[in-house]
Amino acid sequence: MSSSIKITGHYLDGKSAKRRAALLELDPEPFHHIGLTIEADVDSGEGTALQGAARSFTLSFDDLRIESRLGNTPREIGFGDEQLFVTDDNDAVDRLVARFGTTGWLHLLESKLSFVILAVVLTVALVGSFVHYGIPAGAKWAAEKLPVVTAEYLGDGLDILDKTVFDPSEIALSRQQEVRDLLEPYLQQYPELDAKINFRAGLEANALALPTGDIVFTDEFIRLVKHDDELVAVFFHELGHLHHRHMMRRVLQDSMITLLVIMVTGDVDTVDMVTGLPTLILDLAYSRAFEVEADAYALEKMHESGIELENFAVIMQRLEDYYYEGGDEGEGGFEIPAFLSTHPATEERVQLAQQLIERYRRTTH
Amino acid sequence: MEDTTTTTPTNAPQVRQLGFEFRGDGTEYFKIWIVNVLLTIVTLGIYSAWAKVRNNRYFYSNLFLDGSNFRYLADPMAIFKGRVIAIIALIIYSIVFSVFPPLGIALGIALFFAIPYFVNKSLAFNHRMSAYKNIQFRFSASYGESFMVQYIWPLLGMLTLGILMPLALQKMHEYLVKNSSYGTTQFDYTANTKDYFFIVLTVLGVGLMLGLPTWGLIAAVPDLAPLAFLIGVLVYFGIILFVMSSLINLFYSNVVIQEHGFSAKVTMAELAAVLLANAFFSVITLGLYAPAAKVRMVRYISSRIVMDALGSLDDFSAAEKENVSALGEEFGEVFDFGL
Repeated sequence: MSSSIKITGHYLDGKSAKRRAALLELDPEPFHHIGLTIEADVDSGEGTALQGAARSFTLSFDDLRIESRLGNTPREIGFGDEQLFVTDDNDAVDRLVARFGTTGWLHLLESKLSFVILAVVLTVALVGSFVHYGIPAGAKWAAEKLPVVTAEYLGDGLDILDKTVFDPSEIALSRQQEVRDLLEPYLQQYPELDAKINFRAGLEANALALPTGDIVFTDEFIRLVKHDDELVAVFFHELGHLHHRHMMRRVLQDSMITLLVIMVTGDVDTVDMVTGLPTLILDLAYSRAFEVEADAYALEKMHESGIELENFAVIMQRLEDYYYEGGDEGEGGFEIPAFLSTHPATEERVQLAQQLIERYRRTTH
Repeated sequence: MEDTTTTTPTNAPQVRQLGFEFRGDGTEYFKIWIVNVLLTIVTLGIYSAWAKVRNNRYFYSNLFLDGSNFRYLADPMAIFKGRVIAIIALIIYSIVFSVFPPLGIALGIALFFAIPYFVNKSLAFNHRMSAYKNIQFRFSASYGESFMVQYIWPLLGMLTLGILMPLALQKMHEYLVKNSSYGTTQFDYTANTKDYFFIVLTVLGVGLMLGLPTWGLIAAVPDLAPLAFLIGVLVYFGIILFVMSSLINLFYSNVVIQEHGFSAKVTMAELAAVLLANAFFSVITLGLYAPAAKVRMVRYISSRIVMDALGSLDDFSAAEKENVSALGEEFGEVFDFGL
């Protein structure tokens, strides 16, 4: 009932690089005998006449080590010690394998278009949700569990900044003391954050929080502030970064993304160029999420301390105007697209403040 | 297969120009790759060892020379074991580093001295797992030579402000080729030091010739800064193309085995077309084009490499059996120092 199977290919003995034409045959009845005929080696010299002569022998299916099918690459069937039969006739080998009842499912997955489309959809959905929910949640959990000691080993970040971008502050010491006195009560409220106030010149109008607990106000920023409450608003925003351990979480998230890319593509060399840009865009998206979190923290603390939330919106707007008019560098009018920015648009941040103001009003009245 | 056969009137063996040919297809590889990715994800990374073997098999088995294909022979289980041990080592290393830094630093120094050994083992594994016409490749180098090309030569290159970098690169290529063999037959490498210096000097010369006038131009007319930026990007891309293509050509044209030689003719224009197309499609598909991009690159490079075979390629014989674990290879991948 079932016909015989003939597979043409080549035979390699595993000792020399000499290739000879060969034929693998499965008899119709009984099934267990597989014949291999190796043709005579025409090029063979006289000394190798014995090796090069035509020969044929019988094998059983269990003797054969048949490679799983992989696209349309040549199919290799190993037997004996290191001997090899290679053929391009993948379909015939599949028929031979099917006779003995063990077909591979991998090639089926890889060749059916519907499976492939399903795989694309599932992969994009899984990777997408992992990047969107899994990585931030994992990093947050890890950052909270990690002992504070680790942060100290990240090195004294302020030292490095002092050597590279910062100069000593030119703000009068009396003004510095005023600011310190203003913030001292709030620092005492959150001793666990171990925050310290610093003043430096450089980096235009800016405030930043380092994992060591150092909060830095730049001179330009101190000059820009018109009201104490505005300064407190920005201070709370930076305290929010410390409270939520944003630096640590960003480092963790970046390394998790790198790990994910290597794991998924299984390749370190080719991914650099191809995945560099998407990875950067993701990092920036995470950065914006942290800013929103710090904003929300700042607004909540301002509310608790009885500071008008409008001050937050006012200082954000003033910073925006400052940068729009060009600070020192004269780069006014250049807009970065939202998805390439480290911070959310000021409009969104002011909106968040307005929403919270509304909500607090409703709850207090 | 483009076999241009040059016939010689005498009885001496003829030189045959055998082109390397990659028969893989971007769509076909994409299907294999996406199934690998999905299975890796749903098995939480365990399948990655099997995926690696399947991906490598696709690229080896589709590479043809003289009508025969190459093969990748690694057993996924061996790779999986190596990978597990390497990942455990990495976790221990990170924990020790954050909990008790002095011991972490000691481990770091130990790793530093272990890397040349692991690189040797990794190359030995990869060669051992590569075969052509059922004969495996081999790699065997001394720890000292590995240490020299990993650390000492690059360090000398840096200390001399790049003057000795060409030499460091040449030593690395010699290390890679001269310690390799096909079966029992050793490869040789014939490149001259001056070929390496020529590449580096050309880069420096072109960089200065185009860089200095552009710089002067911005200093004189600041409004032209955006134009200068554009020129800068183009020169940078051009230099990358030049270095990539000339290094590939230099490398393959100097590999020799017995009386057979190789030659490579990668051009900057063709390489630029491949790189730009790959980058463009990869960005608009958010990375899903990566497998097809790899196929395109491998197919192009293979198509430009030719073996100048003198007579038949049948007279190679297999080396003694040897066992190499996948540990070095997997340490290289996990700790990111692979070649």
